[in-house]
Amino acid sequence: MKERFRSQLAAFFISVTLIDLAIFILGCLLEPDLKFGYEAFAYPLIYGVIGSLPGLIMYSKKELTMKQTIIREIIQMLLIVVLIIAFMFGRFRGIEYDVFPQIIAVAASVMIIYVLVNFFGWLIDLKTANIMTEDLKKYQAKASGKNE
Amino acid sequence: MDITVKKIGETEKEYIEIGCHKKDERIDEIVRFIRSREGILKGTKEDRQYSIALPDILYIEAVDEKTFIYLENDCYESGRRLYEFDEALASRNFARISKSVVVNLMKITSIKPSLNGRFSCVLTNGEQVIISRKYVPDIREKLKGGAV
Repeated sequence: MKERFRSQLAAFFISVTLIDLAIFILGCLLEPDLKFGYEAFAYPLIYGVIGSLPGLIMYSKKELTMKQTIIREIIQMLLIVVLIIAFMFGRFRGIEYDVFPQIIAVAASVMIIYVLVNFFGWLIDLKTANIMTEDLKKYQAKASGKNE
Repeated sequence: MDITVKKIGETEKEYIEIGCHKKDERIDEIVRFIRSREGILKGTKEDRQYSIALPDILYIEAVDEKTFIYLENDCYESGRRLYEFDEALASRNFARISKSVVVNLMKITSIKPSLNGRFSCVLTNGEQVIISRKYVPDIREKLKGGAV
């Protein structure tokens, strides 16, 4: 559980950074003249929290197979897309076609951010795996000298 | 038959070499005896019981209510529970890597990142087994602590 919390926390901070970047890029492209107040600083954090919530469904006491893990990752990504869009565009009650390009842009951004968060998480894990492999080699050399 | 015992340096790997005209039952018996000095486990296969030398084991896995001992090209069933192996082999270069697997650390060639914060061990026969996130800190500790 502790490891899971650490991993979720790392994912949250990577998400906030990438959301900040996505807001900057999308804002410049779609609404370059829009001005915000100080509350704008809170949005990446709010979106980060929303994006982290579906991570709870990934928690399973069972050892998931690779197939189950991939399916859960996809469900989690789609859930984040729905939650973020609901939060951002929830105020539009009827169908307003003019927000569709924004919804598509946001959905695409969320998916890109999701993939990037996983990629950066994988890079951190790669570093850990390399350190573990080095330690393993030392362990094996030491054990071979002693036991075999 | 001449028996030679040669003292070698501390840094060199200890070995036993047998010079024989033919590898027969007599030689197999000597090899079995030497291997038994490193520890053996009992396993069954097709209703026959076998002695399995610890250094030959890749990993031990619990599937449903059964426990299986995997070697390079063989698999044996054991009547013992996984936690018993975990406790008995913790000081013998074995480590628990998930709820269902105890692995021989001497049979891992490398560690790679997997999905969802997990890692996978590549074994000497090319097979891969998953390290659960929960067990990563313990394994890192064991590898850093060196061989026991």
